[in-house]
Formats: sequence, C-alpha cells, structure tokens
Amino acid sequence: MHPIRKQRLYVVLSILLGTAVAAFLVFKGLSENINLFYSPSDLKKEKISVDNQIRVGGMVKKDSINKENNSLRTSFVITDFEEDLLITYEGILPDLFSEEAGIVAKGKINEEGTFIANEVLAKHDENYMPPEVAKTLKDKK
Amino acid sequence: MIVEIGHIFLIGALVVSFIAGFSPLLRFLTKDNFYYMVIGPMNNLVCLFIFLSLISLIYSFLVDDFSVAYIANNSNTLLPTYYKFAATWGAHEGSLLLWIFCLCLWSTTYFFINRQKDEEFVALTLSVLNQIIFAFIAFTIFTSNPFERILPVVPIEGADLNPLLQDFAFTIHPPLLYLGYSGLAVPFALSLSALISKKIDSVWAREARPWSLLSSGFLTLGIALGSWWAYYELGWGGWWFWDPVENAAFVPWLISVAMFHSLIVTEKRGIYKNWSILLSILAFAASILGTFLVRSGILTSVHVFALDPERGVFILAIFSYFILGSLIFYSFLNNKLPGRSTYNLTSKEFGFLLNNILLVILALSIMFGTLFPLIYEALNDGDQISVGAPYYEILILPFALALSILQGVGLYLSWSSTKQFNFLNRVAIESFSIFVILSLLVFFIFGTLSWGTFLAIAMFSWIFSGNLVDAVYQSTQLQELKSILIKRFGMISAHLGTAFLILGVGIVTTFSLERDVVLQKGESYKLGSTHFIFKEIQEAKRLNYSFQSADIEIREEGLIDQISPEKRNYLSSNQVMTEAAIKPTLLQDYYVTLGEQVGDGTWTFKLQIKPFIRWIWFGAILIALGTFVSSYRYVKRL
Repeated sequence: MHPIRKQRLYVVLSILLGTAVAAFLVFKGLSENINLFYSPSDLKKEKISVDNQIRVGGMVKKDSINKENNSLRTSFVITDFEEDLLITYEGILPDLFSEEAGIVAKGKINEEGTFIANEVLAKHDENYMPPEVAKTLKDKK
Repeated sequence: MIVEIGHIFLIGALVVSFIAGFSPLLRFLTKDNFYYMVIGPMNNLVCLFIFLSLISLIYSFLVDDFSVAYIANNSNTLLPTYYKFAATWGAHEGSLLLWIFCLCLWSTTYFFINRQKDEEFVALTLSVLNQIIFAFIAFTIFTSNPFERILPVVPIEGADLNPLLQDFAFTIHPPLLYLGYSGLAVPFALSLSALISKKIDSVWAREARPWSLLSSGFLTLGIALGSWWAYYELGWGGWWFWDPVENAAFVPWLISVAMFHSLIVTEKRGIYKNWSILLSILAFAASILGTFLVRSGILTSVHVFALDPERGVFILAIFSYFILGSLIFYSFLNNKLPGRSTYNLTSKEFGFLLNNILLVILALSIMFGTLFPLIYEALNDGDQISVGAPYYEILILPFALALSILQGVGLYLSWSSTKQFNFLNRVAIESFSIFVILSLLVFFIFGTLSWGTFLAIAMFSWIFSGNLVDAVYQSTQLQELKSILIKRFGMISAHLGTAFLILGVGIVTTFSLERDVVLQKGESYKLGSTHFIFKEIQEAKRLNYSFQSADIEIREEGLIDQISPEKRNYLSSNQVMTEAAIKPTLLQDYYVTLGEQVGDGTWTFKLQIKPFIRWIWFGAILIALGTFVSSYRYVKRL
C-alpha cells in the first residue's frame, strides 16, 4: 500500500477504535448512572421499584423536621404544595438545610412509601433553588 | 461619581473595542493599511479603560457604596477589607468584568511581544481579540451591568458576600481560571488570522504554542485551587464532584492539552495543520461554553449564581457568531493545506495522534454527560435526570490508562519511524522495580492493597521511569544528564505531575475512611488506627460571625494533636456554615466536620482520613510549572 494511504488508514482506524470505546462507555455509564427526578406528586402517581435509585425534591415543610436524640437520624417532610413525602436520612445534613428550604435528596423509596435518602443536597446560596425544585414548585403553585 | 466614571470607561471600552475589532473592514473602503498602525494603541486603550473600570468597581466595594445594586447584593460593612476587595468578583456581574480584564491582559501582552512582527498578521489577530472583547463587554453592559444603581432608595446595609466565598483560595481561584479560559482566545485568534493571511506554517505553530501552554497552565492552577477550596470549605472532604461547572473547566483543559501537543507536530513536521486549527476553535468553543454553563443557570450546580434566560440567549449568540463564523471561515479558507511527511505506527507523530484522539474523545464524552440532562429533558417531555459521578469514573479510567501508557513511551519514539524498538524492555525493568518498591511501601503503610491502587502505582511507575530514565540512558556524563534534564524540564515536570496526581487519586479513592458519628463530651471514636476524642465545645464571636467550636484530639502512633472544627453563624446573612478542621501530614489528612447538637453535651461529627490527597494538588502544581517553563522558553525564542 502507498505509505500515505497506509497512514490515513491508521488514523481512521484509531479514531474509530477510540470512538467505539468511548461510545460503549458512554452508553454503559449512562444506562447505569442516570437518576430520574421525581416530585412528591409524581411519586403518588407512579409506582417506583424499591430497587431504583432516584432523586426527589421539594420544599421542607414547616415543623416537620424531627431529629432523634443522640443519633444521626433525621426525618422530615418535603412538599410540592400538593403532595407530601416523608424522608429519613442518617448522617450530617448540609448547612443550608432548614425549614422551607428547597432540597434535593438521592436515595430509594421503601415499601411503606418512605424515602430513604443517602444524600441530601441544599444548595449553597440561600436565595438559590435547584432548578428541578423551582420548576416543581412553580408548576404546582 | 466614581461609579459613573467606571461605567463610562466600560462604555468607552465598548466603543473602542468595536472600532478596533472591525477596523480590518476599513481596508475595503480606504484601500490602504492605515489600521495596522492604530489597532495596537486602540487595543491598549481598551485594556486601560477596562482596568480603570475594574478599579472603580473595586473602589466602590471598598467604600461600601450600596447604591450600586451589585455591591448591595454582595458586600456588607462588616466584611473584612480584603474580602470587600475580592467580593468584586464574588458574583456574576463583577466576575464578567474580571473575565474581560483577563482577556485584555492577554491581548495587550500579545501586542507587546509581537509589535515588531508581521504587521498584517498581528493586526488581524488583535482585531479578532477585540471582537471577542467587544462581545463580552456588550454582554456585560446589556445583561449584567455591575454599575447599575438602586435609586432612589439606597439600602443602608449590604446583603453580604456568600460566607463560602469568604476565603483566601476563593479570592484567587476566579482570576486564575479566567486567565485560563480567556487565554484560549489567543490561539483561536492566531488561527483565524493565519487562515486569512494563508500563513499556516511552522512559524504560526511556534507562535500559537506558548499561548495554549499558558492557558493550560492557568486552567490547571484554577481547577486545582477550586478543588482544594471545595475540599476544605464545603466540609464534605470531597475534592472533585463531577459538577457541571467543574466539567466546564475540565473540558477546555483537556482540549488545550491536546492542542499544545498537536502544535508540536505542526511546528516540527509541518503536519496536523488542519487539526491544530480545529483544536484551537474547539478549545475556544469549550471556553465560551464553560462560561455559558456557569452563567446561564440551566444546569444544577453548586456554582450557579442566577437564573436568567436572556443572558443564556446572549451568550448563545456570541457562541454562534465566533464558533460557526470561524468554522465557515475555516471551510472556505483552508483550501488543502500543503505539507505531508510520512510516518509509521512506531513514530512520534502517531504517538501524538493517539494522544490527541484520546484527549478529544474524552473531552467530548465528558461534555456529552454534562449536557445529557438537557438533551434528555428536551426529548422526554420535561422529565428531569442527573448523571451520577460513576458515569465519569467509568469513562475516565480507560482513557487515563491509555494516556499514561503513551506518556511513558512517548520519549522513546523518534519522528517518522523508531528504528530501535527496544524501549519496552528498557522502561519495563525500571518501571517494574519502582512498581514493586512502591507497592510494598503502600502495603506497609495501609496494610492492604486493591486493584485500583495497583493500577495507580503501575501508571505512576510507568510515567516516572518513562520520563526520567530515558534521559539517564541518553547521557554518558553527569553534565550531559543535567543539560538534558534542564532542556526537557517543562515536559518532565508536567508528566511527573500527572503521575503524582494519578497516584494521589488512586490512593485517596481506595483508602479514604469516613464516618458520621455521635459523640458525647469526653467520648472517643476509633477510625482506622486513629482515635478522635471530643474534648470540649465553646462559643465565641469574631468580626462578622459568631461560632461554636469543638476541640477534637487526634491520637495515633507518633501523633497527638488537637484540631477545632467550627460551626459559624454569619451575622448579616444569618447563614450557617461549617468550617472543617484539617490536620495535614505528608501521608494523610485528618478531617473533622462539626455537625449539630443532638443532646446534652452530645454532638454529631463527620470524621475522615484522606491519605495522599495533597499529592493530587502537588501533581497539579507540577503540571502548571511545566507549562509555564515551556511557554517561557518559547516566548524567549520568538
């Protein structure tokens, strides 16, 4: 083969190989690591398998934060002004977590319909709402 | 008054940059090259105006002029003076002004280095840069003006700077990052003027290289500083979250690294010209997109400041003008760039090609993951998703592995074709011995090993030996070795930096310990082999916050120390913030965050041990050092 042709072949082959590997990883990565977002009302409508990791979000209801004594366990209720959802979490909550703050929690829902969170995010700016939460609250208000 | 002066300077800069940016069009009218003479001074004038504008904003911050909306929202009389100064770029409007100032610094530096050179080429480059400056100033004035007044009712007190940003690392993080982002405009402008004046050759590549190296270096420092800041300030002990904004800086970094490698080949061999030009366009596109992602508020991120669709549309327009415009230019003007030299599979050229393919595909895949939630939302009727960190972790591992392999053999390759193909067994002995020694050391320290650590140690040893041992083999005398090491200092430093970074990442991800605990006063908790003892808690007040602080004693063989994590309540914003306490040692960090009171004398804590975490940032510093040294040598030779 002509050297320049051969060279071009190498180039094309390596690009194809690289892209194929990347495409495989992208699909594999996306199929395993997408976390769908639900509002409390969505959860009432849809049945979510107890095995699926999902994200939920809403506003923390007033007087709903319940901290157990001498323990890391906290439970609280979030709302989208239509439906409520009880969330339990074991661990240290972020600084900006408070009543009437918009939060997003990641975790699984159990058989009783309680959400067991393994991560709770409250964003860093006190005026800031995560876009999902802002949208949910806007839709319902 | 000062505020109006700043505002007028900003408008002045808008006008002058517009004239400078579009002055090449004058040529069609006047048929002479008058603009060559004036574009340089006009460019410097823009830089001066922006500087004065920034100074007047800083001054207004220092004197607490709350009649300015931006200052009222981001400062406070109680704020320490140094943070009043840094609050200037604490939010969107001011940081844009800083972004523009960084770009002006680049364009002015470019002008002073090249003012004796080819007039047409320099004038064209400056005009592209000034068009960019113009676009960003217009964006600032029309959508996010930091000089806007709140009249007639002036607030007596400001809302305060976000407590998280009241921190030294934060104050230098944005300038560094912006120098990196905006620096990518220079190779972009150089590519366009090379296309227009049909001077895409080795000289062009040599000229573009130091700018891409410098941008890379500043991006490295900016990203590393951001990671360090997140580590000690957010209180979670994480150093990288795959947050959209982190990705937005990481993607241009990857592309800029690809670019300065590709430019080596263009300079030395006269090939990959099209590719280098496309990379410079892609890098600048990634840089604008980065700005867009941070500023538009379309993605959930810790950095998002404000939601404002108007800004998004504006940036999108800027993006389309420059990127689509330059691509159209490229497709019309590249008309079969000549210059082909042949190479085979064992050549340096092919090594660089693989390096570029890997870096660019990795960058695009990360970008895809970052934007995927938007695509998904559009396709699925508003359903919202997030892409978890494991996506990126799965993705980056094979790419990092392949890139490390290349870094370890790159030096042993010759241009065109490598005659003596015995580098594998040469590197293998050295890297294998380093691998064994390191593995034993790590095993000795942590008492266990995992495949992830093995892999990280293997990559480290491979890169380490591949970059240093070759120099030893090539030289017969110490003197010779010294001169090779000095000559290659930039490259070796940057490559060793990645090696240290990989080792740090590998070890910190496998051996980190973390536990949330409830402790009563006097109680102790054993994490790994370390005892954390909760001694005391007290309350006090500082300048602009009150706080509670716990005394935690750390006990380990050969180490007894006390650290005090705090929980602060900022007076003016009434915002609560935890301040983690960190005891750094060479091998590991002890990290304690104070939670909240859950009973009488009982508090919650997050205890963490982070081995080798400092090596990550140390690696990043080495990378940046390497890029700076290399670019300095290039500029000196110009």
